[in-house]
Amino acid sequence: MKILLIEDEKELSSTIQSYLTRGNYLCETALTYDSALEKINLYIYDCVIVDITLPDGSGLDIIKELKKEHPKTGIIIISAKNSLDDKIVGLDIGADDYLTKPFHLSELNARVKSIIRRRHFDGTNVIVLNEMRIVPDQMQVFINENEIQLTKKEFDLLMYFLSNKNRVLTREAIAEHLWGEEIDMADSYDFIYTHIKNLRKKMVENNGHDYIHTIYGIGYKFLTT
Amino acid sequence: MKLLTRTSINYIFFSVIAFLVGGVIFYHVVRSIFYRQIDETLRMEKILIEEQIDFSDTLPDFRQVFSHMIEVTVFNTPKKKFEFIKDTMLYDKSGNRLIPVRQLICENTSIQDQGYIISISKPLSETTQLITTIVGALVMLFVFLMGLLIFLNYFISKSIWGPFNKTLESLRNFDIKKAQDLVLKESGISEFRQLNKALDRMARKLRRDYMNLKEFNENASHEIQTPLAIIKSKLELLIQGEKLTRSQLEMINSVYEAATRMSKLNQGLLLISKIDNNQFDATEKVNLQELVEKYLEHFEEITDMKHIRIIRNYHAPAITEMNSTLSEILVSNLLSNSIRHNVEGGEITISMDANGFQISNTGHLLSIPPEELFRRFRKSERTSDSVGLGLAIVRKIAHFYQFEITYEVNENIHTIRLMIIPRKTAS
Repeated sequence: MKILLIEDEKELSSTIQSYLTRGNYLCETALTYDSALEKINLYIYDCVIVDITLPDGSGLDIIKELKKEHPKTGIIIISAKNSLDDKIVGLDIGADDYLTKPFHLSELNARVKSIIRRRHFDGTNVIVLNEMRIVPDQMQVFINENEIQLTKKEFDLLMYFLSNKNRVLTREAIAEHLWGEEIDMADSYDFIYTHIKNLRKKMVENNGHDYIHTIYGIGYKFLTT
Repeated sequence: MKLLTRTSINYIFFSVIAFLVGGVIFYHVVRSIFYRQIDETLRMEKILIEEQIDFSDTLPDFRQVFSHMIEVTVFNTPKKKFEFIKDTMLYDKSGNRLIPVRQLICENTSIQDQGYIISISKPLSETTQLITTIVGALVMLFVFLMGLLIFLNYFISKSIWGPFNKTLESLRNFDIKKAQDLVLKESGISEFRQLNKALDRMARKLRRDYMNLKEFNENASHEIQTPLAIIKSKLELLIQGEKLTRSQLEMINSVYEAATRMSKLNQGLLLISKIDNNQFDATEKVNLQELVEKYLEHFEEITDMKHIRIIRNYHAPAITEMNSTLSEILVSNLLSNSIRHNVEGGEITISMDANGFQISNTGHLLSIPPEELFRRFRKSERTSDSVGLGLAIVRKIAHFYQFEITYEVNENIHTIRLMIIPRKTAS
């Protein structure tokens, strides 16, 4: 899977790159508008992450060019401008998703995964992990071929973990993923704890493996190794 | 009150006062002129009568000579000499009634050394009629003139103030967010020209300042969010390390949380300034009941876990015209507020009708007056880790749409009421 990251901030670019690379993606970076155009004209990417405000051009123009050349490429906009206009315009000209800076790397990773999944399997894919089988579009989860009933939030949580296997997920990233950015619940960590407890229980009850580990003081990790 | 109405009313008011005072004075002047003339005639007649008496030394029959009511009474004793004129009433035989007269009475001694009194009366009815006619004609003339003047004043004022009204109209239509400049009509009157010039300068400056501010806000947001994004992503990468100790993780987590808070703060403040700058002008019909239901479902797990009972009291859906983003922020902030400050096993009551809705929740006693909670960064001590902008944003949105918002606390029940149609105007 090849990803192009168009982001002018060098530090941010290298951080995102190393996070995504750990997920077995090949992540290339472009720091300027010109180099980004050059790269999308030379290679084909599965997903392009583009910052709208670049020093020598607008990311929106890159999206237009990309849509013309490679319409199958998934596009995620990352922008520091939380402005509605950019979001509407961006999604209008064909971007798949929009993230406002600062975002959680795990969130970006999950969105990239979801877009690639949608683009490559036309929504008919099945995720298999050891004894687990998940049909994302039906929201079905099977453990040892027994279907387990999960609430919507539990399912979202499981998918989020699966997108970020073997990585530490902060409680904040999980809370924002489940309830959106506007949520500012002082005690939302307790709810995450309860959700995770329920999810673990349902998985273990069906003789599933206990994948979710608590990382003290920070969050959780879905360990497959 | 309109300027024209105001000047017209003032005009009429002072004209009527001037007319009343002038009318009274005029009436008295006319009356005194007529009376002086009557009195002169009376004196002339008296002199004629006295001359007649002196000449003939007898009492002539005056009724033949003068048409007035003249009486001469003769006394045996001599009389003192005096004379006066007064207004009085006399009985008129022909009309069989009392009529007002001007009467001259004089006593004299002359006829064969006998005293006599002459009393000459002149009916006033004719004079009164004359005065009435004159004053009446004058009133008519005045009313006509006043009407004409008010009419003229109205139209002249209207044409003179025309450019001013045009200026007012374009000021009212002026929108700082739209690129369109303030269009002012040229006027021949120098004061209005100056006014237009000053307004034009002000509008330009306002727009420039507004643009600068907007630009600054966007830039500030961009410039702050990017370093924050770097901090947060680096930390996220850092915690993936295997060999971190507990205390290191705790420290990283504190930094991470602080960075998150800072970015939330920045976003909240930016949102408030965006509302202030009227940057949410696209509106659509919003059904607040549907929105409340949507967010109740969104927060369902949280309310379930806290064992909070939701009581719905819908009479009619509140529907209003507003920006959809702002409506979502409004409702989600209010609901998450009522959940966050709730107690384990508490209640949330949502009442709604077409005029608005109210959200009541069980909670803790407040350490500060309830209205204070609408101010930025004011929060109760219990939830010190929240940013403290939620209700400030709610109030900003409410004020932006002229909704009426109140916060009441009754023992441990907190109620926020939002009226989309203010009670004053709702029938």
